[in-house]
Formats: sequence, C-alpha cells, structure tokens
Amino acid sequence: MKQNGKTYTNHEKEPNLKGTLLSVGALGLFIVISWTVVFAIFLSR
Amino acid sequence: MHFHKFEKIWLTFGIGALVLFLVILGYGAFYLGTHPQSHGVTIDPQNVEAHEAFKPENLGLTKVDEDRYIVNVVASAFHYDFGVDADGNAINHIEIPKGATVLFQVVTKDVIHGFNIAGTNVNMMVEPGYISSMEVEMNQAGEFTLLCNEYCGIGHHMMYTTVEVYQ
Repeated sequence: MKQNGKTYTNHEKEPNLKGTLLSVGALGLFIVISWTVVFAIFLSR
Repeated sequence: MHFHKFEKIWLTFGIGALVLFLVILGYGAFYLGTHPQSHGVTIDPQNVEAHEAFKPENLGLTKVDEDRYIVNVVASAFHYDFGVDADGNAINHIEIPKGATVLFQVVTKDVIHGFNIAGTNVNMMVEPGYISSMEVEMNQAGEFTLLCNEYCGIGHHMMYTTVEVYQ
C-alpha cells in the first residue's frame, strides 16, 4: 500500500483459521440437526 | 475492516440463521396467531366457579361438535378436578376419540401447577389468576399420563391421572 510516497507492505500473515472453521461448522451442524429433530418430534405428536 | 474468508462464511451463516428464526417467529406469532398458553386471560383464583367454564357442572370433557371437545379442569394441590360423573363420583380418567380436536382450559385455585399429557404436545403452566388454554388434535391412540410438571408441594408426585385416546 502507498501512503505519503512511502511504500508499506503488510508483513502480517493471515492466521490459519481452518480448525476454527471446522469447529464452528461442527457446532452449527449440531445446533441445526438438534433443532430439526426436536421440531420433527413436535410436528409428529 | 478486513475479514478473513472463513469469518465471512460463519458470520453469513450465523446472521442468516438469526434472520431465518426471526422470520419463523414472526410467521408463527402474527400469521398463525400462536401465543403462550396463558396469554393474559385472567380469572379470580379465589372464585374460579364464577367463570362459566369452571362451574362444577361444566368441568371435565364436553362434546361441542362432531370431533370437537372441550376439557375444563380446575387444578389444585394435589389433583385435577374433572367434575363428577352421573353417580356423583369424581372423574379421574377421560376418554377422547382419536383425531378429535380438543380445547383444554385449565385454571388453578392455589399455586402454580403444570398440565402435561406425557408423549403429546399438551404441556402448559397453570398460574393462579390466569386461564391456560391450548387446542390440540389428538392423533395418537393410547393411554397417556396427565401429570403436574411444576413442583407444587409435598404431594406433587401424586398429582397425575390418565387420558385415553381410543380408536
């Protein structure tokens, strides 16, 4: 990026969030599945 | 502001779920008219008999139409009052035909009680001063236990009866 005629480079590396994505996804999936199961029980009764 | 690509994924999913559930809630409340079982319909808990539905002769199961029934119940520690039968004996078992639409109207004379027909969607709190009502289609045949699921005192565990849904 260029500012005041000087050039700055972003040396910070993007953090690796693969594990976070997986755990967030697993938690989300768990919530969705349990909500669906409970709702299905409600409808079937 | 910089977002990581993965952050965008779970934020979209999370906010999407929030919006979806709000839409479902609004649809249920405003379009279908769903409301809590006790939604501000009041009654004097000291004098429930003054209300037409809870006069002793109107308690219990009443057929109002083909496949439509009303069940009026007065709960108190530690039993459910379904009125009396033709011989003057207290009714402690009700029989409903399968597929019938039943409106349960329940009040309490003393403390908070529960009204739960285990294994069905009939499950409500009965609070002093309010009429709890719920309309259900009884689509499952069998004998169900109707029980109090709000701790109401020393005899709480004795507060149950049976409801039969016959073919």
